[in-house]
Amino acid sequence: MVGDLFREYRTEGFFDEVFTPDGEVRDHYGALVERLSRFDADDLARRELRRDAAFRSQGITFTVYGEGEGIERTFPMDLLPRVVPADEWAVVEDGLAQRVTALNRFLDDLYVGDRAIVRDGIIPWWLLSSSDGFAREAFGVPVPLGARVLVAGSDLVRDAEGTYRVLEDNLRSPSGISYVVENRVAMTRLLPHVFANTPVRPVDHYGRSLLGALTRVAPPAAGENPTIVVLTPGVYNSAYFEHVFLAAHMGVELIEGRDLVVDDHVVYMRTTQGLQRVDVIYRRIDDSFLDPVVFRHDSTLGVPGLLAAVRAGNVTVTNAIGNGVADDKAVYPYVPEMIRFYLGEEPILPNVETYLLWDPEQRAAVLERLDQLVIKPVAEAGGYGITIGPAATDAELAACRDAILADPRGWIAQEVVSLSRHPTLVGDHLEGRHVDLRPFVVTSDTVEVIPGGLTRVAMKAGSLVVNSSQGGGSKDTWVLARTAAEVAAEEAELAEAAEGSGLSGARSDATIEAVR
Amino acid sequence: MLARDAESLFWIGRYLERAEDTARLLDVTYHGLLETTAAEERAAWGGVLAAVGLRGTFDETERPLTAAMVSEFLVVDRDNRGSILASVEQARENARTVRGWLSTELWGAINSFCLQLRGRNLKLDLEFQPHELYGFVRRECQAVAGMAHETMTRDEGWRFLELGWHLERAAWACRLLRVRQGQLASAGFHEWVGTLRSASALEAYRRTHRASMAPADVVAFLLLSRTFPRSVLHAVRTAEESLTLLSPPHGELSRPLRLLGRLRADLEYAEVGELMAGDLSAELIRVEAAIAQVGTAVGLQYFTNSHEFDMHTLKVLPGEQWAS
Repeated sequence: MVGDLFREYRTEGFFDEVFTPDGEVRDHYGALVERLSRFDADDLARRELRRDAAFRSQGITFTVYGEGEGIERTFPMDLLPRVVPADEWAVVEDGLAQRVTALNRFLDDLYVGDRAIVRDGIIPWWLLSSSDGFAREAFGVPVPLGARVLVAGSDLVRDAEGTYRVLEDNLRSPSGISYVVENRVAMTRLLPHVFANTPVRPVDHYGRSLLGALTRVAPPAAGENPTIVVLTPGVYNSAYFEHVFLAAHMGVELIEGRDLVVDDHVVYMRTTQGLQRVDVIYRRIDDSFLDPVVFRHDSTLGVPGLLAAVRAGNVTVTNAIGNGVADDKAVYPYVPEMIRFYLGEEPILPNVETYLLWDPEQRAAVLERLDQLVIKPVAEAGGYGITIGPAATDAELAACRDAILADPRGWIAQEVVSLSRHPTLVGDHLEGRHVDLRPFVVTSDTVEVIPGGLTRVAMKAGSLVVNSSQGGGSKDTWVLARTAAEVAAEEAELAEAAEGSGLSGARSDATIEAVR
Repeated sequence: MLARDAESLFWIGRYLERAEDTARLLDVTYHGLLETTAAEERAAWGGVLAAVGLRGTFDETERPLTAAMVSEFLVVDRDNRGSILASVEQARENARTVRGWLSTELWGAINSFCLQLRGRNLKLDLEFQPHELYGFVRRECQAVAGMAHETMTRDEGWRFLELGWHLERAAWACRLLRVRQGQLASAGFHEWVGTLRSASALEAYRRTHRASMAPADVVAFLLLSRTFPRSVLHAVRTAEESLTLLSPPHGELSRPLRLLGRLRADLEYAEVGELMAGDLSAELIRVEAAIAQVGTAVGLQYFTNSHEFDMHTLKVLPGEQWAS
């Protein structure tokens, strides 16, 4: 039975994460919806206040760039979690592992291999070499284990049929994992009871996973216990909270460029006891700011001589330099081909239908129906510069057309995906809001997909833009530990055992604890 | 530990102590002056500004020398880097950069103190309920200090925090006495009670000296007590302890440790009679200068070492690019 909270809820023809088109609650939401139905709107509103106070006092914020130094904002977490059943997740997990493996192979092929994919005519060389993210400086520089994309954060959406599709790949410094972990902590405190009967896979081991991967990509000379640091642009960066989080969860130093010096192609950090050698730098700074000797001479965020130290093999900088070429949106349409080319497999997760505007035929077709497509700049992140055709004015479409004609390489067009929706608390009731999902993949000698990821929610009704910098919110994302069949089997077993011991058929709290 | 993190922790301690001591000094000055003439009041506020070393900065703002203006300058004015608001904001900024060194509770306490302070209408508070505002600042600072004491590992990071905290406290204890000693001749029973109260020392003092209020006793207590945690000597000794634990156990004493040890010895063996007979004001200024010297020496020793690789002096010639 669905209670008060869901009474007015309508799926309005969209693919809904919680309800089937017939209005039935999907199986994997059963226990959660049943629990939530006991809450009323006031109760949830009170918990929202507590949530806001907790996030504010802990400074779980990101910075929005505006005039001057920027404004710190909390990233609003909706109190209704998103639930992903175990079997569904297994597909996503395999698909992401496959994709990131192929992307790593591609980058290694491009920078230290013989560029077989270009040679075989699958991707044109000019397209790669004209990418903003392409770095000649990375040529011939091997990365330990070939793990160029040590951390990936690909964005997934579900279309009108509920199929997971990759919307884009983030292979440089994908943000959001700190909110994944903090959202879970907040949920266990604010709504502990909703976890009952729902075996959710934990996410707070991310720091350990990342540290393990970073340790494995250390230069061989660093030995058993390499010195690892997180490099941040500093306290005014929008993702500074996340940088702090990463360093703290790994128990390593959070440093800025000014803390580092390079001498004789070795990187050191300034400590109270003098200089200490650094072996691995998990950098959260763009390529172009890393080393003023090589890249932007005006940058004070990096450290002079860092690139030479990388080339000398004395330090590992990760994610690797030059990854941007692989998450260029004009290269994205080729990822399924990369999977076939390098792995000889069919892609598990499809792309969104995408058109390349440098191609005269595709461009002509796109310009015909600009008002039906989404137009994106190839090198922007954070949802900036996007034109959504169906929602754009004639003037905006004209401007978009001019921009495309001026720089066809700089834009792509995609079919509008009718993103799935999820019930989201709006004031005192629930409304459907579009969501996406950014899972995180950590690669070293193995590929690990962190269960779940950051579900982002477009807070504005009807909006398809979920980016935090555009006012989006987030949801705790639960990947269930077991499939429905496994749960049923276990329940049957428990019932049997209870019969023997004289207990009722219901699961005891101790069992629930054990399962979590 | 990272030199910059050490510096941040050191300054968190200093800023929080500064905010707390500014609140204490303003509280006692404000309430001690309610029953005086305008001229006396002006002189007293001038003395406060001089003691905290901000007379010149205040005059540049072209504010008239009144209780309201001086309070505003020392509490709300962000352009005055020594104001309470600016101090707490700087403590928070520093805390953000060393989150990994702070417990969740400690960071939360500093952060919410700052957010609460920002959320208050400080000008209105100064006009209508200054005592409540100063009490709030003091309590929050003490809550942060308590949180630090109870949750931080006694490692290098803690030592730098403690060091900053106590060097600042020692300097302010001197300032408090300097503000009062200007009026030493005229200061009566009530002024000294106020002074002790502003240092949270009244009860402790009474247990030592009963109800008498001899100036020499008050000075001795606030300057030289070995047991009272807000006396100059106690703060100096605590700072020296932190600094000792930061230094290698063997080998030569570092410069900051030598400076601090000398100061501690001077205070430990001082005679209050001699101090009162001599130029107490000059002596207090000397102690403050010695504390400042220690601060500078700490900076040179721990925060800006590895000077031979100073980034700002590293010359990079365009011709050295290996890739173009």
